[in-house]
Amino acid sequence: MPEFTLTAEPPLMGLNETFGDMVLRAPADMAIVSIALPLGGEEAALKAIKAAYGVAMPEVGQMATSKGGETLMRMSMDQGFVVFTHPTPDANAIVNAKLKGKAYTTDQTDVWCALELSGATSRDALERICPLDLHDAGFAVGEAKRTMMEHLGTIIARTDTDTWLLMSGSSSAGSFLHAIETSIKNVS
Amino acid sequence: MIINHPILGPRDAAEFVCLGDACMIDRPDWEAEDAMQQFHEYGYLRDNPAGQHQELWYHEQGDRSWLVLTRNTLTHEITKVEMARDVARSRGRDK
Repeated sequence: MPEFTLTAEPPLMGLNETFGDMVLRAPADMAIVSIALPLGGEEAALKAIKAAYGVAMPEVGQMATSKGGETLMRMSMDQGFVVFTHPTPDANAIVNAKLKGKAYTTDQTDVWCALELSGATSRDALERICPLDLHDAGFAVGEAKRTMMEHLGTIIARTDTDTWLLMSGSSSAGSFLHAIETSIKNVS
Repeated sequence: MIINHPILGPRDAAEFVCLGDACMIDRPDWEAEDAMQQFHEYGYLRDNPAGQHQELWYHEQGDRSWLVLTRNTLTHEITKVEMARDVARSRGRDK
């Protein structure tokens, strides 16, 4: 039997493009694990998350960052994501061990693609395809929301004043990138 | 149309899909004497009010929550948006 070595190749890997004052790039080695709070076990799960990451699970639509650099995003009452930099495909085991089985976890690293858009006019580019209010009053730094862009389900998070993290399905990564690039070109 | 989600705030109606009458929450007791008749009504019969109407909406492109909307079918005005889980619990659902 010949020995095979498999190399991970995430969608949009290595992307790094500049448009005027905007930079569009794909974050490397991004691991994504979903956390679902069990029915009736919500309190215990939230306690376990706080113990594991040193920060409480944020309110719905908010993000929180742990000392270790993991980002917790609460997408709904009973579900959130932990996003962190981790190159090997064992993210679920790590999160599961940290939470000591108090919540349901699923590795979602391979099912999402991510883009980071930054630059002074990045909001102008996003406002054309994002149905959410992206002004400071409607979308503060540290918020993460689930919506759709160009009919594709998307998570949009504002990580800094002019920096946005976008996540969409990896199976339609090419279409998503095209939609974002087109919107950027329309304003730059 | 904008739907004012109780947790997420105002969201575009394009993010939601409508299931229909919120009477779907009240599933009949299968052990009742007239269960057959009740399930026939539950499955097939709907009111078609001109005015206030309670509907189930699903936030598919959002937090995947089910909502109960109180909507006026004549004006499309939405007067109330509640989490379906809260409505179900207030009607005696245990979880």
